[in-house]
Amino acid sequence: MRPALAYRHVPGPLGDGGALAAGCYCAALASVALVSSDPILLAAAAAAVVVAGHLAGAGRALVVALRWGAGLGVILIVVNGLTSQRGDTVLVHGIVLPLLGNVDISAEALAEGGVLAARLAIVMVAFAVHAASVDPDRVMRLLRPLAARSALTATLIARMVPLAARDYARLGEAAALRGPLAAPAGRAVIARRLVAGSLDRAIDVAATLELRGYGSGVPRSAERARRSRHDGALLLAALGIAAVGFGTQLAGLGSFDAYPRLSMDAGLATIGAALLLPLAAALPFAAARILEMRRG
Amino acid sequence: MAEPLLRIEGLHYRYPQAAAEALAGVSLDVGAGEVVVVAGRSGSGKTSLLRACCGLVPHYHGGDVEGQVEIAGLDAREHGPAELGGWVGFVAQDPESQVVSTTVRAELELPLEIRGERAAARARAVEEVALALAMPHLLDRTTDSLSGGELQRVALAAALVLRPRLILLDEPTSQLDPVAGDELIWLLRRLNEEWGMAVLLAEHRIERCLAHADRVIAMEDGGIAFDGEPEDYLEWAMACDQALATPAAKLFDLAGLRPLPRGVKAARAALSACDIDFEGQTPSLPQAPELSRSGGLTPKGLTPRRLTPRRRDPGALQARNLWVALDGRDVLHGLDLAIDRGERVALMGRNGAGKSTLLRTAAGMVSPLRGQFEAPGGVALLPQSPGDVLLHERVGDELPGAAGAAALARVGLEHARERDSRDLSGGERQRLALAVVAAGRQGSSLPGLICLDEPTRGMDQARKDELAAWTLELAERGSAVVVATHDVELAAAFADRVVLLGDGTVIADGHPDDILSGGWYFATEVARILGVPGAVTPLQGAAIIEQRRAVYPAPGSVAG
Repeated sequence: MRPALAYRHVPGPLGDGGALAAGCYCAALASVALVSSDPILLAAAAAAVVVAGHLAGAGRALVVALRWGAGLGVILIVVNGLTSQRGDTVLVHGIVLPLLGNVDISAEALAEGGVLAARLAIVMVAFAVHAASVDPDRVMRLLRPLAARSALTATLIARMVPLAARDYARLGEAAALRGPLAAPAGRAVIARRLVAGSLDRAIDVAATLELRGYGSGVPRSAERARRSRHDGALLLAALGIAAVGFGTQLAGLGSFDAYPRLSMDAGLATIGAALLLPLAAALPFAAARILEMRRG
Repeated sequence: MAEPLLRIEGLHYRYPQAAAEALAGVSLDVGAGEVVVVAGRSGSGKTSLLRACCGLVPHYHGGDVEGQVEIAGLDAREHGPAELGGWVGFVAQDPESQVVSTTVRAELELPLEIRGERAAARARAVEEVALALAMPHLLDRTTDSLSGGELQRVALAAALVLRPRLILLDEPTSQLDPVAGDELIWLLRRLNEEWGMAVLLAEHRIERCLAHADRVIAMEDGGIAFDGEPEDYLEWAMACDQALATPAAKLFDLAGLRPLPRGVKAARAALSACDIDFEGQTPSLPQAPELSRSGGLTPKGLTPRRLTPRRRDPGALQARNLWVALDGRDVLHGLDLAIDRGERVALMGRNGAGKSTLLRTAAGMVSPLRGQFEAPGGVALLPQSPGDVLLHERVGDELPGAAGAAALARVGLEHARERDSRDLSGGERQRLALAVVAAGRQGSSLPGLICLDEPTRGMDQARKDELAAWTLELAERGSAVVVATHDVELAAAFADRVVLLGDGTVIADGHPDDILSGGWYFATEVARILGVPGAVTPLQGAAIIEQRRAVYPAPGSVAG
């Protein structure tokens, strides 16, 4: 089965758009989570990445990234709750833990952990949508003239991920064939075997890259990549999303403070700005749909 | 005389930290437009030679190198693979490791793009190479949606897109089914004839490509043991290493005919010239006792097949009205099959016919939708790559305890408990893998049914002979052995029954002599030469020819 984060071409703005425009669009979605900690804006940014992933046909990538994000989020909330000894609303008082000693758990610390978790999850989902929807060949073509070695490494990794996924499935199947008296084959053993096999695979793939010409120094870019009809809408949406993210910060909107008591900006301006995020995320897809309908 | 395209002088090469030389004093010239087949057993140096010809040795692999390699006048020690790419293309065995882009079009554009070709030139080159390789329909496909044959074709196209003058291919058909393999060889011949491209092709299945070769090189222990024309090569192989000879050559040698033919067409022409023609005739095949009595017909490596007596009780496998679906598609359609213990069955059929699915169902990895399925003696399935089953470094760690020691003893590997499984030979690894999948399935004995899925991919003839002998040994110990294979020569060598699948049902089931002599695709080289029912092995074919000559002696025969 294809890995959830592996690229699959789905016609549409992200699938057919230029690497630069698609990259800017996904980066803009992630940037909101990087610059803002206001729960309202974060909720809107989360809605925006879900809208983008869903409309781009990256549903599986969304689910997997959200699952990973949720797992990490729980860890962040727990760690923050245990390590941050601030906040007025103490929920659990005086737990004695090894290394940490006597700790209190406050609602504010948990909320701060939740905000951090949300920010991390949004960034992860934005990159998952990018990985599953944007053709890596186009991204490499964009990167190659700028950073040859990085592009080489990225190409190698991009190729190795689906190969490793296939090898893992094959090894898992072979492990299931082992007789009842053979030594058990746990995940760790399979993973070790996979890593060893992947190194051999990587050597073969790297040899192929060498033969294709990667070893001949900095690649020459003959001309700029062909533009896509979706680029304009993607860049406009990226600009809009980034404007909301950075603009609210510059304007002093969307403030959030966890300590000593939870406080956040829930004014109309903040809510209005937040509503713009999913709308801006949907813009390229809506524009493509309208164009198709006009043609049809 | 024109300057050779490839010139190798006294090349010695040793991989980093290797004890022995991979190439030992190789000297070789390849002219423009030549098709050269490189023969040799596994580990004889074929791959290293090809890698040296494209600069991967030593630029990529490192190691110690002596001697000179020149491609179109460029010294390969000074110019790396990327610089030589305009002159020489390389296609390796494993198609999966040879594509690096997401779409086929991007894969073909990549070498041109890196070299700074403009979009128009790239588009034209991609279009031309796609047309030359009959693959325009693949251009917009993603590479992970391609079959092995299609991937190999894409790898070839990527190697050709710069229009090199020499193409190197390292066992390019080893991962392909026979149809895709034959197509690839024909394609190379066409490229050679239409583009004048020189071809250096390393291949185990010599019979597949010898008819297209201008010249053959045989490698042995890193050196060149033979370099000459195909007919002379066959004489050399029959004299020095019969594992490197073709079935047609073995047939002619056994029948005392000369010259040895390079392929089916030449063999038929030679037989016709000496008035040995079976058109319209159905001579009876001498029975096995006659074959064994004719002492001259049992040279080294050509022992007559022993027929294992069929025992009806207990059965190894009973499948009745078996229906299996994968990904929502019916793969097995009401299949009926019974296999007895002690039988050696070759399971054949085109890709997608249901061979692997049947074996996986037998091993319990796939649940049938409908039908009855019984394997009372237990089932052990060896996957295509036996190495996948071996997960521990030490052999003894794979099979711990006294039971493990007994399992190792059953496959003759009790002496190897302390060894690293990677240090075992190919045959030993296969036996170890069997011990691992069979351990504990049927008490202290072997399982009733042992299945091998495509075990001969990338194997040389010597290993195939070893495998055939091993299946015989397993059957004699009471297990039924089922081998899913495309290799008709292997099927003729080991099986006492061939089951042919088509679209998930059994379309033919019988003795190899009947099944492998009655068609075009599922027929051995000998069967295709003679066209006589029942003649599938060189030994049987030679007996038929002798019989025919005894009945109709031909004046002026070319027999030696």
